Amino acid sequence: MDLDVPQGVLMAIVGPNGAGKTTLLRTVLGLLRPAAGEVRIFGRPYAEQRRLVAYVPQRGSVDWDFPTTALDIVTMGTYGGLGWVRRPGSSERSRATAALAQVGMQAYADRQISQLSGGQQQRVFLARALVQDAQVYLMDEPFQGVDATTERAIVDLLRSLRADGKTVVAVHHDLQTVAEYFDQVTLLNVRRIASGPVGTVFTDENLRLTYGGRVAGIGGRTNGTGPEAHL
Amino acid sequence: MDVLSDLFLDYTLRTVALGSAALGIVSGALGAFAVLRRQALLGDAMSHAALPGVALAFLITGSRAPLVLMIGAALTGWLAAAAIVYIVRASRIKTDTAMALMLSVFFGAGLVVLTFIQRQPAAGKAGLDKFLFGQAAAMLESDVITMASVGAVGLLGVLVLWKEFKLLSFDPDFAATLGMPTRRLDMLLTSLLVIAIVVGLKTVGVVLMSAMVVAPGAAARQWTNRLGVMVTLAALFGAAAGVLGALLSTTAQTSTGPTIVLVATGLVLVSLLFAPTRGLVWTRMHALRSQRVLALEAVMSDLAALAAQHSSDATRPHDVAALHAVRGRALVDRALSELAADGLAQRHDGGGWSLTPRGLAEADRLARLRRAPSEYL
Repeated sequence: MDLDVPQGVLMAIVGPNGAGKTTLLRTVLGLLRPAAGEVRIFGRPYAEQRRLVAYVPQRGSVDWDFPTTALDIVTMGTYGGLGWVRRPGSSERSRATAALAQVGMQAYADRQISQLSGGQQQRVFLARALVQDAQVYLMDEPFQGVDATTERAIVDLLRSLRADGKTVVAVHHDLQTVAEYFDQVTLLNVRRIASGPVGTVFTDENLRLTYGGRVAGIGGRTNGTGPEAHL
Repeated sequence: MDVLSDLFLDYTLRTVALGSAALGIVSGALGAFAVLRRQALLGDAMSHAALPGVALAFLITGSRAPLVLMIGAALTGWLAAAAIVYIVRASRIKTDTAMALMLSVFFGAGLVVLTFIQRQPAAGKAGLDKFLFGQAAAMLESDVITMASVGAVGLLGVLVLWKEFKLLSFDPDFAATLGMPTRRLDMLLTSLLVIAIVVGLKTVGVVLMSAMVVAPGAAARQWTNRLGVMVTLAALFGAAAGVLGALLSTTAQTSTGPTIVLVATGLVLVSLLFAPTRGLVWTRMHALRSQRVLALEAVMSDLAALAAQHSSDATRPHDVAALHAVRGRALVDRALSELAADGLAQRHDGGGWSLTPRGLAEADRLARLRRAPSEYL
């Protein structure tokens, strides 16, 4: 499958369970090796452009009982720029504090992460990605299981990212809000059904092609014809 | 007091204490990471797998030097860990099965080699069987020096790569997207855990060494929400369990490993019960207090409702028999006496109850809070 993501857009990746949405993100990030094909970020291989890409994993992918604070998690976003051995200092911590404030979480900086609500945990993950100061943000279901306050905060954040010329690709489940929150959409069900501006691509016909008919059997491995993702 | 004064005067006891402290610090600190990464059972598999290494190292070199035996132990322990990772990756066998498999295969092989050595007439064979359950009393100064230096390497590794290991333990995928070589870091941290295990092997024994890896970390987790504090505490708990257990076993002439493990288990038990916030006693008390507060609020709102039915005089007494029937006599009476003590309710002559004016105001505030909680957030 081929997927081109234009710069400076908010793109939703939509598709049924097992369609390969998460697999697609993980392949772009080099966490899974593509069966064939390549990933390019601004025209160059991902390995060279790693710093330009920030990742917001699914909230459920980590153990929130880990002994640490919200601020500390956000500070982890600065580790990539620190290099080996060096520890984060006061400048890293103040950047992390600013990112927490950006998602409305500054009051929770010293909270143990298990004492945060699901929405607050999601915002901590977003702040960690913000600290990376990337050009491309890949988010895996940022809206999943969050309260209205967090949903609002994330939407505001996405728009301010777009205003700064950043690119966001987010796995999204709620078809109702696709048109409201995003300007581009990719419909995925093992293969790419359609991709482009929400207005032209997010049609009943395409949704039927994505969700209706047969259920995809395999776990969404990108395969065969040379998957390419140009961001 | 005898043991305590002997500790400073008696050469053997001092050696034992120093060695056990060293092993406790190293296994506690590195074990904390194993606990957080859910690798407790991997530690168990690796410590059992160290036995054939000890036996083979002796068989091949003929030396009983602590460093030689430790290297042998580390090699087979590490080999078992690698085998587990490989089996899980290459087959459909799950991690727990792979670990149980490798644990018994390596431990069985170790026992076979050990019994083979025992039948040899060669001098110097004695002592290897001590690696099963451990023996602190036989600790020599050379053992302590080796244990401390090898352990220092393990601790240094954690200190130098602190932020890398922290991120690896919390969110390895994110670490990989930052460009960290997570697979190599994982291997390195596991290797450091092997170091922690072989340091304590002769003292605690292969069978129970995993307890020294797991128990201090599990106990430390109860007391803190900071990784740095947790690792430091685990090191201290490890040292305490090591020294206490080794001294007890030396004076009472029991096997060292089991004695140390009992002390460590005691630390875990105390931590599970009494640690603030996470301890069972604390959570139970917290739950009881919440129940009490809820009961107070319920009785207050009942009295306020009764008062509202007689708007002419809000503080006129009411019979609480209905409350007794609905909420239970004990609960209501306890709540009433507490409300009275706080000046929120009053008992009238003749046994009736009502809220005081202050109690009425408080009940009103709570009712509004319940209706529109968001205003108060």
